[in-house]
Formats: sequence, C-alpha cells, structure tokens
Amino acid sequence: MIKSDRKFLLLVLIPIFIEAMIFLVIPILGTIGISFTDYNPIAHKMDPVGLANYKGLFDDPKFVIAFKNTLVFTIVAVGLNIIISLTTASMICQLKSNKTRSFFRMIVFLPCIAPMVASAVVWGRSIMNTKTGLLNEIIRMFGGHGIAWTGDAQYVMLSVIIFTLWADLGYNIILFCAGIDSIPGDVYEAADLDGCTGWQKFRGITLPLLGRTTTFVVLMTLISYFQMFAQFSVLLFKDGPQNSGLVLTSYIYKTAFVYKEMGYAAAISVVLFLLILVVSLIQQRVNKVDWEY
Amino acid sequence: MKEIIGGSDFKKRLLIFCILLIVSIIIVLPYVWMLSNSFKTTMETLTDPMHIIPQEPTTAGYEKVLTKSPFFRWLWNSCFVTGINTIVILFTSSIVGYIFARFNFKGRNFLFAMLLFTMMVPAQVTMITTFIIIDGVGLYNSVWALIIPSFVNVFGIYLCKQYCEEIPKELIESAKIDGAGNFRIYWNIVIPQIRPALGALAIFTFLEYWNDYLNPLIYLSSTDNMTLPLALSYFSTQHSTDLSATMAASALIMIPAAIVFIIFQKQFIKGLALTGMK
Repeated sequence: MIKSDRKFLLLVLIPIFIEAMIFLVIPILGTIGISFTDYNPIAHKMDPVGLANYKGLFDDPKFVIAFKNTLVFTIVAVGLNIIISLTTASMICQLKSNKTRSFFRMIVFLPCIAPMVASAVVWGRSIMNTKTGLLNEIIRMFGGHGIAWTGDAQYVMLSVIIFTLWADLGYNIILFCAGIDSIPGDVYEAADLDGCTGWQKFRGITLPLLGRTTTFVVLMTLISYFQMFAQFSVLLFKDGPQNSGLVLTSYIYKTAFVYKEMGYAAAISVVLFLLILVVSLIQQRVNKVDWEY
Repeated sequence: MKEIIGGSDFKKRLLIFCILLIVSIIIVLPYVWMLSNSFKTTMETLTDPMHIIPQEPTTAGYEKVLTKSPFFRWLWNSCFVTGINTIVILFTSSIVGYIFARFNFKGRNFLFAMLLFTMMVPAQVTMITTFIIIDGVGLYNSVWALIIPSFVNVFGIYLCKQYCEEIPKELIESAKIDGAGNFRIYWNIVIPQIRPALGALAIFTFLEYWNDYLNPLIYLSSTDNMTLPLALSYFSTQHSTDLSATMAASALIMIPAAIVFIIFQKQFIKGLALTGMK
C-alpha cells in the first residue's frame, strides 16, 4: 500500500472506529453485561446476579402482558399493513396518467413525513377523543354510541393499530409501487392477449414476481414494528387501562428511565433484541436466495 | 371489439380512481381536522366539534403557542440537531463507504461485518449503556447528547459503499495519474458520482432526527432544551384542556415538513424506492 493511502485510511478510519466502538459496539456488550446485574443508579446497586433477571421475566405479569401485546400488535399490524399497502399500490399502478399516479403516491406518503408524535397528538386529542373526537361524532351521526378508543382496554390495541396504519402505510405503498413498476410490461401484454382478468393478472403475475419485494417489505416492517414506541407513549395514557397497551419498548423505557432498574430493563431489551434477531437472520437467509426472473 | 375492451377498462379505472380518492380523503381528514380545531375558540372545540369551518375563527391558539411557550427555542434546537447530524452523517458515510468500496486493508471485511451486525440491534438495547456513557461525560440534558452518538451511520455507510462500487475504475485511476490526492479524489470525483445516494441519505437522516422522540425523551429534561416532538408532547399535557392551542402547535410542527415534502416529493419518493429501506 502506498504511504499516502495509508495516511488517508488511518486519518479517516481511526476516529470512525473509536466512535463506532463507543456508541455502537460497547453499548451492545454493555447492555448484555448489565442484564446480569441488579444495576440501579438511584439505589446504588451494581451487583452481579447471574441469570436472576432473565429467570424473573416470566414471573413478572407486566412483562408477560408486554410480550403478548408486542406480538399481537406486530403480527396484526404488519399483516393488515401488507394487505392494504399491496392493494393500494397495485391500484395506483393501474392508473394510466403519470400525474394522477404521483398525486396519489404523494397523498399516501404525506403522514410518513410528519413526526409520529405530532400525528399521535392530533389523533389522541381530536380524532379519538371520546367526547368530541371525529370518529365518535361520525359513529353518533349514524346513531351509534361513542367508543372510548384509548380509554377502554378492549379497544386500546385496535386504536393504536388504526393509528399506526394511517401513519405508516405510505412507506410500503411506495416500495410496492416501485416493485410493480419494475415488472416488465410485456408480461402483462402477453396476459392481456390470453384474455386474463385483472384479478388473474394480480395473482398470476404481480404476486409471484413481487416475491422479493414482498419478503423484504414484510421482514423490514416486522423489525420496525417490534420497535414502535412513540404512538404507545403519546396516544395512550399510562399504557392504557390494565396495561392493555403496554409493549416491550415502553416497558423497557419505564423500567430503565423512570424506575431506574437498569439491570432488569437491560434483560428485557435483550429479549426484544432476540425477537428482532430471529427476523433479521431469516432476512439474511432470504437475501441469499436467487430471485432472478 | 377494441372499443368495448377500452370501455370496460375505462370503467374499471374510474372505479379505482374513486376508491383511491376516498382513501386520500381518509388520509387527509386528520390534517383538516387539526387545522380546523386550531382556528376555533376553546369553547367551540368543546361544544361544536363537527363544523369544519370555525364559526368564530381565531388565531388565539397560535398566539398562545408562540408567546406562552419557547417555541422558537424548540424550533432552533430541532434545526441544530438535525442540521449537524445530517451534514456529519453525509460526510462520514460517503468517505467511509468509499474506503470500504475501493481500498483493501487488513481487517476490512471484519470491520464491515461488525458494523452491519450493529444495525440489527434495536435502540432499546443500546440506549441503556449509551445513556450511562453520555450521563458519565456530563452531557445529560444537552442537545449534544443527540448529536455526538450519531456520527457513524451504518445504513449510510452501506448505501454509499454500494454506490462507490459502481464508479468506473478508470475515473479514479486517471485522477491518480494526474496526481490528485485521496481527499481530492473523494471530494471531486466520488461525491458527484454518488449524488443520488447522498440525496436519499439526506432525506432519511433529516426525517430520522427531525422526528426522533425516544432519544430526546431520555436525554432532555429542561423545557428550554427540548426538540419539537418532545416539546409537543410536553405542551399537549401542559395544555390538556386547550385543544385549539395543542392543534395549533401540532400544525406549526407539521406544516413546514409537509411543505418541504410537497416541493421535493419526487426526490423523496425516488430516494425511498432507490434504497428500498426506511
């Protein structure tokens, strides 16, 4: 290696390496390490406790609820997200005019650029409000009774899922649109000549040829929904009645930064990490599959 | 025959158009509601919520936000954090991406694999130890706590590396023969070549830090130091009885981003499709 190259590499990589060590690598190892202690900065505790934090998890009713809620939220919300965004994307792509297509793409993406917190404040205070919220006003207009969207344990998860879909669908619609646009047009022309209906084309061409995009979108959305936090924190009051809206992310935040039980919080965060790791490993597997068509 | 097919096709497209129009209305309605409530009197938001056009339009809500809260302070904090992070991340990602793409050195693959691995780890894991480090060096309750840990962005490095691998070898070789140094090659040849990637990265970084809520929530405790999303959630609990002021604050936070998006929407959507990542 030439001397000047060497100097350039060292000059750039050493500071980057130090920064990556301090803020990317050490935090991972550190948190795993802390999860084997009872670290609590307020109570001045920092003793190794072995696996006690992990053993205690499934005796902790709040953890069990948070774990269950996280799975329910992620699976239901991702499932609905994929169905709705794929349908919407294929509808947008069937429009002839470029201008109308980009108009609809812009509209569906609009909520994605707004801060989730701001959207959650708007939804919580003026859309899902029990007394004066838009949703209940509409229900009353049709003669129904208003629902306590975020105040009734039965509806809390539903409310968060509806909000999340509104706020987040745009990303996947754009990705699916890009996927559909990359399918060669002559495949559809051939199908037209064979007299295929729209649904047949969707099932026979779009879905299979969109395999790679779909797998990618499903896995990325899973990973991102496991980590959703802002809407649970802002839309709900104290995790909803009977912890009906408590998820792992908000439980980790509370345990670590409100109760300062950092050792225990670290153990919960490692569980969340393992959940995400499983999905990530599946993704790497899938990436290696040959998708050529 | 052709005309008949064209006719049914047209009907189908009209139907799709109408469905999409309804979807669009559902998407836009909360914004309309927010704006409508922000111009109402507090009384009207309680007694007459269904009128979209306010009966006695007022800007009292906006005045309350701008005069009774350090709104411009919050705006400045958000601009400061987002601005510095975006610039630094664009620089570090492109130069490190270039190095990983074009230089062979010992430990390169290991280093890159290590960076990629950290991408899989959720913020909830790293935030506990990062908080201890940041608190330890005395940056708790400082906006620098949102800046200093963000300098290395693995997604950015990955994206730039992909693009740097596409740069024709001859371009760099001939610059070397002309006697250009490494930094000069990076600045004059690599940067212009990977501009689309940098555009997309700028958008993602901007959105990530402008909208971030979790980190400000952990690190910032005094009202004056808050960034906009955290400040809004604080403001909304402080003024829980004043819907019109809260909606005015939400509008003030959303509208600028929405305008930027509508102007640059082509680049936004292209950039997103280009990288296929969030």
